[in-house]
Amino acid sequence: MRRPQKSCPFCEMRVRFIDYKDDRTLGRFITDHGKILPSRLSGTCARHQRQLATAIKRARYLALIPYVKGHTA
Amino acid sequence: MPRPYEVVYIFDSSLEDAAIADKLTRLHAMLGEHGTPPADLKVDLWGRRQLAYTIGPRETGYYVVARFGAEPPTLPEFERALRLDEGVVRYMISIHEHEVGAPPMSDDDLVATRRRDDDDDDEE
Repeated sequence: MRRPQKSCPFCEMRVRFIDYKDDRTLGRFITDHGKILPSRLSGTCARHQRQLATAIKRARYLALIPYVKGHTA
Repeated sequence: MPRPYEVVYIFDSSLEDAAIADKLTRLHAMLGEHGTPPADLKVDLWGRRQLAYTIGPRETGYYVVARFGAEPPTLPEFERALRLDEGVVRYMISIHEHEVGAPPMSDDDLVATRRRDDDDDDEE
């Protein structure tokens, strides 16, 4: 069954390129554990979901957002 | 032809501000012609920030973002200098993707993008 169409939050904000340095925006698209939120939950369109995944991975490398949340070494 | 690049540096936060400024001047001098920094160099100092996770013993880092246009052949030497510098905890060089003189997406663009995405869905 086809799921109802959600509108893409980035398209609504007219974003062309997702900024990997904007940790506050990226923080909205990761789960409590730090996983990338699937587009079926966030409604992100395919193009922006691809950009988002890259941006989150870059931000993780730069220690702007954690790889795993709530993990103590 | 120069390409637009963006570098994010994370310096060791125990370094003095003056030492970081020194390093930046030295690094950026490698990017332009004849040891001068690129003309369109823009440096954004974020300052000391909490890291999202510890990197070795460090819990904070001094973040600097720099944007510039440079010839691709100058980059390997620049990257080597960054790698060898012990004051640089992490760095990332990327192509600076930005609006190239284009206005934000117009309504027509938006409709076109949506239609294209809808088509993609149908193919599944």
